[in-house]
Amino acid sequence: MIAGELIVEAEAQKLHAKGEKLSVLMVEDSVADTELIRSELEHGGFDLSSEVVQTAEEFARQVHSNSFHVVLADFNLPQWNGMEALELLRREGLDIPLILVSGALPDITAVDCIKQGAADYVLKDRLARLPSAIRSALQEKQLREERKRAEHELAQKVEELARSNRELEHFAYVASHDLQEPLRMVATYTQLLAERYRGKLDAQAEKYIHYAVDGAKRMQTLIQDLLAFSRVGRQDTTFAPVDCNLILHQALESLQLAIRESGAVLTYARLPEVMANSSQLLQVFSNLLANAIKFRGSDKPNIHISAERQAGEFAFSVRDNGIGIASENAQDVFVIFRRLHTRTEYPGNGIGLAICRKIVEQHGGKIWVTSREGRGSTFTFTLPVTEPVPAAQEKFKQEYVQA
Amino acid sequence: MFKPEILLVDDNPADLDLTSEVLARNERPKRVSSVMNGVEALGFLRHEGKYADTPDPDLILLDLNLPRKDGRAVLAEVKADPLLRRTPIVVFSTSQAEFDIMQSYNLGANSYVTKPGDLPEFVQAVESIENFWFGCARLPRKEEQ
Amino acid sequence: MKFSRAEILLVEDSQEDLDLTLHSLGHERVATDIIVARDGEEALDLLFCRGAGSGRSFENPPRLVLLDLKLPKVDGLEVLRQIKSDPRTRTIPVVILTSSKEERDLIRGYELGVNSYIQKPVDFEQFRKTIKQLGLYWLITNQAPVAGRTARAAGQSS
Repeated sequence: MIAGELIVEAEAQKLHAKGEKLSVLMVEDSVADTELIRSELEHGGFDLSSEVVQTAEEFARQVHSNSFHVVLADFNLPQWNGMEALELLRREGLDIPLILVSGALPDITAVDCIKQGAADYVLKDRLARLPSAIRSALQEKQLREERKRAEHELAQKVEELARSNRELEHFAYVASHDLQEPLRMVATYTQLLAERYRGKLDAQAEKYIHYAVDGAKRMQTLIQDLLAFSRVGRQDTTFAPVDCNLILHQALESLQLAIRESGAVLTYARLPEVMANSSQLLQVFSNLLANAIKFRGSDKPNIHISAERQAGEFAFSVRDNGIGIASENAQDVFVIFRRLHTRTEYPGNGIGLAICRKIVEQHGGKIWVTSREGRGSTFTFTLPVTEPVPAAQEKFKQEYVQA
Repeated sequence: MFKPEILLVDDNPADLDLTSEVLARNERPKRVSSVMNGVEALGFLRHEGKYADTPDPDLILLDLNLPRKDGRAVLAEVKADPLLRRTPIVVFSTSQAEFDIMQSYNLGANSYVTKPGDLPEFVQAVESIENFWFGCARLPRKEEQ
Repeated sequence: MKFSRAEILLVEDSQEDLDLTLHSLGHERVATDIIVARDGEEALDLLFCRGAGSGRSFENPPRLVLLDLKLPKVDGLEVLRQIKSDPRTRTIPVVILTSSKEERDLIRGYELGVNSYIQKPVDFEQFRKTIKQLGLYWLITNQAPVAGRTARAAGQSS
């Protein structure tokens, strides 16, 4: 609040400093009152230019032909009514603060005026308050304009984003067709070449063919991965209650072979039910578990999956005893195509965790890793708790929270 | 012995070669014909012009992106033609796009197989097509009509 | 059932054939859930998400329907006709699996848009081999329609 008042002061000084006149439209039938108001404002530090009208018609003409900073209006004159004036300003889309400067009004009327959009209400026997009321009104107007500008910019950004999404979608389609077809030619025919001339070429030539096949295949996987990544954003994702224990079970089933081959030991706690897209959630679990097995150290992988409730969210953790990640790289691992190891050390394209992050963020959660190099990693992601609560219980909860 | 007739419709000579070669690898007797665009495909099926004496295929492997007449249009025409629509069509395309798959089924494709980008998998896919359609399924053959 | 993995709907009224088919499919190490309908009406309910299938959704269709022809209540060809004439279900691959040797059934099946037609071999070993090949082809080689996209894609193509 104090900060707000300081800004108001600063704004008024700015207006003043620029030497700009405060242009006021007064609706007033008493010459004496007009003079009182003028002198009060000049005394309050304003350099004034003003027009005075007495009827609704004159008022309408004035607001159309001149631009005013502020309207100071009596509430009731024979040919004038404050409420109608507010209505007219709103209808015409004119954002000019209107301050009622009036004799005592019934409380209910004053409140109605403020509700209808009057900026303030100043009693004629308290005119000393008028300068600060004007400053606040001007300040509020400026904030309104800034907000409108920001909203407009936001709308533009959203539109731009939608357009670039459409372009990405188109790119994904082109990638899936036009790139894959010729690439398939390269891959299959170099393989056919190798098959046909096996044993007839020298070792060098076989190695070159191997490089060519390998390169083409890697590019195929890259395109597939890129498509998978872009699909996460494009799919219309329906969220439904999902039992994470079932998801974990499916993930483990799909990793059976890797688990057996690595001799991994997996333990897990009971997991909750969440609102999620089940196939995407399965992808997150599978990717994290596959990584926990892949990036193992010299010991057999020991992996623990757990979940705990923290305030409004569930935090799921996958803890391993693998090679870990140096702290300076902890953020990098979630960036698409970022890899920390060579392909010969650990295969992969650096897409899995990028997809995990995209999915988790789409579900309104966060994902991060805590790790020490050589000491294992713990990947944690959060999902909001969205229990279907009966209406009455929901209401009780709100009241409880408020209390 | 039943000697199946297969029609390959593909504008890519490399794919025609590869598919024919894989089909020729096993001992099952068969006849493989090929055309390279959609107009030719329909001409072949309707025995028009130079195709007057061609046999009715038992199975069609159809690529989607074809010149002159698109594979989707061929699919739609064949499946709307009372004389042709019984012939099973396997769409055989590079595309894995959901839209292409769904559209093909909607137009009446009997099956949709993506051309794998790896030779052993390609061989397996073609063999699997052959084994299923000629070793397992019962086809609406001409002499049975 | 919340998640459907590769799901097969097996419509079969003969207990013997049912056991044999399930047994043969079990030999395939394909992660598959098999739902069984014992008559044509139950099959239609499951496919059209009503009655016994009211917990199901068109977004998660089975990946393959194996359909016998001689069925109680609603005949197999009628089940096929209904599947293939409704935009919500027409993309689901349907393979007729029958002991019928009738020429008419074969032709009618393909006319109605069946994806493939298999005559059950009488020999046990042959039967097992056929089911195995069928499983390999329709669950691995063939690209199934994409679950959850049926309605949208159907709309786009019209």
